[in-house]
Amino acid sequence: MEHLHYSYVLIFVAICAVGVNFGFKLRFSKKLKLFLFTDALILVVYLIWDFWAVSKGSWFFDPDQILGVMLLGKLPIEEVLFFIIVPMMSILTYLALTKLTGWGKAKEDSSDLL
Amino acid sequence: MIYSDIALSAVFVSVVLDLFLLKSRMMTRGIFWLTYFLILPFQLLTNWWLTSNKIVMYSDTEIIGQRLAGAPIEDLLFGFSMILLTISAWEFFKARSLNESN
Repeated sequence: MEHLHYSYVLIFVAICAVGVNFGFKLRFSKKLKLFLFTDALILVVYLIWDFWAVSKGSWFFDPDQILGVMLLGKLPIEEVLFFIIVPMMSILTYLALTKLTGWGKAKEDSSDLL
Repeated sequence: MIYSDIALSAVFVSVVLDLFLLKSRMMTRGIFWLTYFLILPFQLLTNWWLTSNKIVMYSDTEIIGQRLAGAPIEDLLFGFSMILLTISAWEFFKARSLNESN
């Protein structure tokens, strides 16, 4: 089970994402194309950064606490999933709060700070 | 360039993209800051899990050494940059897809 230690984080965030999506009736499945575009940008930027940092030894992973599936022999598959699941959760949080507060429906909203 | 430099640069790049290139200007909107400050404690929680268990470890020469919830303080900059870029890009693509369908 030790190999799942990193995965627990992903599972935890994924459960939160499913809960928020259905709890707030956000119908995220209808917005997958939009998310695909958004996350493509995130994946490109942060995986390049991550890959470069791992290559130069800025940070490293305990091989016993990850699944062991590596992207290009260096990046744990968990990192790739992290950059999909966490942005998804960020968007769901944003959508839920937008719905809850009524803020940000239009850019001209009086709730804007500027 | 160490993690500290890159993390600072990432915040700068995200802010420039948000304000001037994607023009979503999420930074000027209350809903973004509300979203960020709700996500922040969860970032600290996951950071704490990943670092206290030594799942992820950092080279001492790559960070300034200040830590919060077990993780390098630089992680706050990384997290902020990613949340800002995510929501900013989302609004950018959303506006574009609406324009295309009109």
